[in-house]
Amino acid sequence: MVCLDCHKVLSVPEDEGDGLCPRCGAKVFLRRPDSIAETWAFLITSLILVFPANILPIMRVDFMGSQEYSTIMDGIIYFFKEGSYGIGIIILTASILVPLFKVIGIALILLSIKFRWRSWLRHKDLMFRFIEFIGRWSMLDIFVIALLMATVDFGFLTSIAAGPAAGFFCGVVISTMLAAISFDTRLIWDAY
Amino acid sequence: MSEFELHEGFIVCPECDLILRESSVEHGFKIVCPRCGTTLRSVVLHSPEKVIALALAGLLFFIPAIFFPLLTLQIAGLEHSGSVWDSAVKLIRSGFLFPGIMVLLTAVVVPLANFIILLTVAIQIQFKRANRITARMFRLYHHMEEWGMLEVYMIGILVTIIKLFHMARIIYDTGFFCFIGLIVSSVGLILVLDEHRFWEEIEQQGRQYVIASEPGKELDEVTFKRERDTLLG
Repeated sequence: MVCLDCHKVLSVPEDEGDGLCPRCGAKVFLRRPDSIAETWAFLITSLILVFPANILPIMRVDFMGSQEYSTIMDGIIYFFKEGSYGIGIIILTASILVPLFKVIGIALILLSIKFRWRSWLRHKDLMFRFIEFIGRWSMLDIFVIALLMATVDFGFLTSIAAGPAAGFFCGVVISTMLAAISFDTRLIWDAY
Repeated sequence: MSEFELHEGFIVCPECDLILRESSVEHGFKIVCPRCGTTLRSVVLHSPEKVIALALAGLLFFIPAIFFPLLTLQIAGLEHSGSVWDSAVKLIRSGFLFPGIMVLLTAVVVPLANFIILLTVAIQIQFKRANRITARMFRLYHHMEEWGMLEVYMIGILVTIIKLFHMARIIYDTGFFCFIGLIVSSVGLILVLDEHRFWEEIEQQGRQYVIASEPGKELDEVTFKRERDTLLG
C-alpha cells in the first residue's frame, strides 16, 4: 500500500491496523476510514449552501444614493447584455456550472461506488480530478467582489459593497473542496 | 537481492492503487499510471536549487504585490486605489467576516506560508540538513498547496478590469506588476518542484536522525519482501 502524503510504498501490516509512515509520519491506511461518510456529509452541506449562495444578492452597487442589489445571475446577464460574452461565460462557469458540476459529479461517483457500477471507470476518475482541480475557481466571484469593494470607493458618487450571498458562496467553496479531499479516489477502482 | 532493492523496485499509484515496477526516468520525461493517468514521477534537474530561486523571487514580490495598490480608478476627477490587502480588510471591516477571512487565507496567508515552507525545505535539502521537521513541513505544504489561490485572484483582477473598463479610467499601479511577478514565481515553483526527489532526499538525509519517536506503530519496510513474494508467488 502507499502513503497518501509522500507516496512511499509500504507493506501491509499483519493485523491490518493503521500505522505511521516511516518517511513522513503521516497516518497510513489501506483505505481512508469513513471516506464515503465524510464525503457525503460535505456534499450535502454544499448542496444546502448552494441555494442561498445563488438566490441571495452577492453585490450591492450604490450610485448617487440609490442602492442596487444584484445576484450572481444578474451579473452574468449584465455581461451578456453588454456584449462581453467571454467574461459572462467565465463567470457563469466559475459561479454556477462549477459548483453544480462538482456536486453532481461527486454524487454520481459516490452512488456508483454504492451500487458498484463498473462502467466508465476511467472517465469517473478523470471527472473526479477535474472536480478537484476546478473547485477553487468558485472563489473567483469572491475575489472580484472584494477587489471591486476595495477600488470602487467614491463615497456618495458610487461605491460597491458585498451582499449576504458572499458568506454562503465561501461556504460552498470550502465544503466542496473538503468533499474532494475526504474522498479516497482508490475507492472508484475497487469495483474492478 | 537485498530487501532494499526489492523495496525500491515498485511504485504504487496513489489514485488507483495499481502496483507498477519502477524504472529510471530521464529529465524531460515523466511516468504516468497506465490505468488512471495520474502523473507519478516528473523529474526536474537541480530541483532544490530551482525551488530556492523561485521561492526567493516569490517572497521578494510578495509584499509589494499584496500591500501596494493594484489598480487606481479615476472617476469624475476623484481617485481611489485598492490593493489585495485592502480587498480582504474591506470585507472584514464591512462586517463580512467569513468571506474576508477566506480571502485573507487563500490569497495572502497560505501562499506566503507555501513560499516560506518550500524555501526552508529546499534549503535544508540542499545543505543536507533534512530531518523530521523537514518531513513535517513538506507534508504541511502538501495539504496547503490547493488552498493557495493566487491564480484565481489573477483572473479575478482581469474580470474586475473588464467590469470597470467603461466606468472609469484605470491606472495600473506598482502592485499590479509585482503581482504578475508573484504569479510567475508561484506557477514556476510548482513546475520545478520534484516531490519524489525531495522525499527521497528527506528520507536519505533523515536516516542520520531518529525518524520515529512518536507513539504509534511504525510500518516496516523490511516485511515488504514477504509481500512481494506473495504477489509474485
